[in-house]
Amino acid sequence: MQQLADSLLQTGFLQGVPTEAGYALVIAFFAFVLLNFIMLIAGVTSWLERRVWARIQSRVGPNRVGPQGVIQWLADGIKNIMKEDIVPAEADRPLFKAAPYLAMMGFFATFAVIPFGDGLVVADLNVGVLYITAVTALVVVGILMAGWASNNKWALLGGIRSAAQIISYEIPAGIAVITVVLFTGSLSMQTIIRAQGWAPWDWFLFANPFLCIASFIFFVSALAEGNRTPFDLPEAESELVAGAFTEYSGLRNLLFFLVEWGNLYVIGALYTTMFLGGWQIPPITEQPVIQGVLQFATFFAKSYFLVFVAMWIRGTLPRVRVDQLMTLCWKYLVPITFANLIGAMIWFVLFPNGLAIMRFAMFALGVAVTIYFFSRILFHLRRARPRLRLNPIS
Amino acid sequence: MGYFNNIRETIRTIFEGMAITASHLVREPYTVQYPDRIDLPIQDTLPFRYRGLLDVDLEICTGCLACERACPIDCIVIEAEKNKQTKEMILRRFDIDLAKCMYCGLCSEPCPTGSIHHTPEFEGADYSLESMVRRFVKAPIPAYKPTKGPETDPEIAPLLTRGLRYLDEFASPGDSK
Amino acid sequence: MSTAGIEIGLERETPAGLETEEMTLNMGPQHPSTHGVLRFVVKADGEVMRRAIPDIGYLHRSIEKISEKVGYHGFMPYTDRVDYVSAMQCNQGWAMACEKLASIEVPRRGEYCRVIACELGRIASHLISVGTTGMDIGAFTPFTHALRERERINNLLEELCGARLTFNYMRIGGCAWDIPPGFVKRASEFVEQFEPLIDEYNELISFNKIYVERLANVAIVPAEMAIAWNLVGPNLRGSGVKYDVRKDVPYSVYPELEFDVPVGTGERGTLGDSYDRYMVRMNEMKESCRILRQALGGIPEGPVIAKVPRTFKPPPGEVYVRVEASRGDMGWFVVSDGTAFPARTHIRTGSFSAMAIIEELSKGLMIADLVAVIASLDIVAPEVDR
Repeated sequence: MQQLADSLLQTGFLQGVPTEAGYALVIAFFAFVLLNFIMLIAGVTSWLERRVWARIQSRVGPNRVGPQGVIQWLADGIKNIMKEDIVPAEADRPLFKAAPYLAMMGFFATFAVIPFGDGLVVADLNVGVLYITAVTALVVVGILMAGWASNNKWALLGGIRSAAQIISYEIPAGIAVITVVLFTGSLSMQTIIRAQGWAPWDWFLFANPFLCIASFIFFVSALAEGNRTPFDLPEAESELVAGAFTEYSGLRNLLFFLVEWGNLYVIGALYTTMFLGGWQIPPITEQPVIQGVLQFATFFAKSYFLVFVAMWIRGTLPRVRVDQLMTLCWKYLVPITFANLIGAMIWFVLFPNGLAIMRFAMFALGVAVTIYFFSRILFHLRRARPRLRLNPIS
Repeated sequence: MGYFNNIRETIRTIFEGMAITASHLVREPYTVQYPDRIDLPIQDTLPFRYRGLLDVDLEICTGCLACERACPIDCIVIEAEKNKQTKEMILRRFDIDLAKCMYCGLCSEPCPTGSIHHTPEFEGADYSLESMVRRFVKAPIPAYKPTKGPETDPEIAPLLTRGLRYLDEFASPGDSK
Repeated sequence: MSTAGIEIGLERETPAGLETEEMTLNMGPQHPSTHGVLRFVVKADGEVMRRAIPDIGYLHRSIEKISEKVGYHGFMPYTDRVDYVSAMQCNQGWAMACEKLASIEVPRRGEYCRVIACELGRIASHLISVGTTGMDIGAFTPFTHALRERERINNLLEELCGARLTFNYMRIGGCAWDIPPGFVKRASEFVEQFEPLIDEYNELISFNKIYVERLANVAIVPAEMAIAWNLVGPNLRGSGVKYDVRKDVPYSVYPELEFDVPVGTGERGTLGDSYDRYMVRMNEMKESCRILRQALGGIPEGPVIAKVPRTFKPPPGEVYVRVEASRGDMGWFVVSDGTAFPARTHIRTGSFSAMAIIEELSKGLMIADLVAVIASLDIVAPEVDR
């Protein structure tokens, strides 16, 4: 991005503008574009989630606003903006008002390093992965602040649960990331992607068993960090009413949900980057623009598949209890990731350039599991089929 | 060993559950969009015995007050008096307070002609309690007097047929077919 | 209250020196998972509850007193409202009480209609129960799947009696309406399609590890404690006590029908935990399907209702009848003084005693467990207050 800013300052329409101001303008422009982009992503994700969830539950879901209800999120957003922004009388007003923006900031900042294509990244930081782990921690401050400032016991419980949960799950998530970094030798997102190939067997997911285990652990921990089912304890609606967001209304409530749905996309994008080969596609055309668009589409499709998986998990699993959440983290995920990391180290020493046969074996295993999964789906489809009968008299 | 069993069990059951939910993704949804996304009006899909809003066919009401007596919440109010000269019942008032009515169907059971009956109509929302009171008698009218033999009046006969059919299928207990 | 030295629940002791200020939480009456308007005053130490004190009465409608004003026939629609989740069995309880008062014999076809309606109602009620258990634990999908099946039962019952929730189907001396044409075929079809769905439901949620962990070993009620606290129905059977009014105090045509009484086995945890209570309900639905299949296949010909005068005046006396409602042994105590109005009616319901035990069970549980316990005890607020 700096090159772009520099070139604009030297030859583009920003010629003559002071360097700092020019930088500021370019940064503001990209921030504006990204902000709108993530609003779109969060909105569409919310619609998609409601539709997927509805179909899993034999319902239809929102289908009135726009074709198939695709702009339902816009209607909901407008409604929420119009609503009164209520601050409870006994609440800590400044904190209460600031909390959603803090959460929003933590999640928005991650988009700076998400690589949508070969050159399509706002800033390819050399500490990219570390940066994401760091800034997402801001979300927990926002939620904890919301829980505290609401002056509501349910909200407080939700905030504390969130803090405990996110801090605990940073450890397995971080170590799973380290496993990947071990094989790439770099924290930069683009380098991680370039270390993989476009073919599925070149992905880190199938590179060796340790990376495969790390990918699962990362996904579980990321779900927990994003407060998704089965780890949605901070807002557990059947226990804590709405958890940390109980007292929020209108736009501020909307911002929290924006964070939730946006985070879902961040999880998908991170997983895609680290384990699914990111934007890698075979070189199809010479045209850089078309190639770039295809890369973007590939990245988007992969990350949205993971978003879909997260929705699907939400439609399947119940919520864990708070002590089980901690048990899962400290007794299962943390020891397994450490053992996994050591295993990965040994593997790396033995086969510094990877083992082609292992890649294909892992890929074959993945295909076999998928086929078995589809056979189970067919089995369930055949076994029980609830029938719709509209007219009982007919 | 319990440690690894737990992990195995967790993965297996989640795998199975995910397969079931995925199979639901390709099944057709069960819900129906109310009110405009099915081919026929909702009322037509309801069974014959459906207990919707009460209706009264005053032409075949005998003024016997059986429904008023049967109603457990007194939502039916009937005023009928006997005309001294002609010896016939005059209905002065027949009100049903639909805000009170609990759609139990006890009133339509004792009705001798099937005059008071449930319709498949159920959309009864209104803005005031006052407008929920249905006043069937606009001006005092004579009550129906059952005739010996089949009904001949062309205006009343179809109503009576409907009423008796209603009684037959809906409100006559002990009738087994 | 002492429970004769019975160990209760899992005690989670806070280590000495780490106690925090006790927090009083007000759960309900508008809490999303208190199944109606229940209220609990929760004394909690962080996430761990010291005790949860139930506060009842928010849904009190003085139904028992109403019976003294509306007479025997007119009270029938009110019995629907005692427990609106399984209204059929309440209908049957009142009808049986009045029949016993006046020594009325119900025709056999009427009894079969009653059994069919009641077992359909039992499946519908258990579906709500297991569905809301899933929802309280955070899985929304099982709830919609359960309600989807319940919807088909509602369609069937709507055909039978014209209403989906407040049936008012039974009358003193039998049933109000005969089985409509085609009903037997459709009901059998439902039973055939429903049984595999129970297996699917089990695999979707009941055997799910997270779900098992949430319910197993939570709120253990040993058999002696269940009897001491007067638990009935699936809650009692979940503690391993094989007691079912349909078997032990037979009524209607249940003695002619073949079915088992499922009891808790402690398969995933300790005998009498929440999971056992939940699984008893799942298994009871299968048994209800068995009963339905037999009843639908063997409906005798004849009238469905005995001749009962419109002004029903039973001889003076008092009766107590029991029916196995979805939430257990439901007792109907009716005193007649010879007039057209009962002198006194009392209803003894399963949820009431289940509500009482919560305070005892809640000690040492977590707040998240409280909703699981309420759901597993299957408490329906109107039945508590009446």
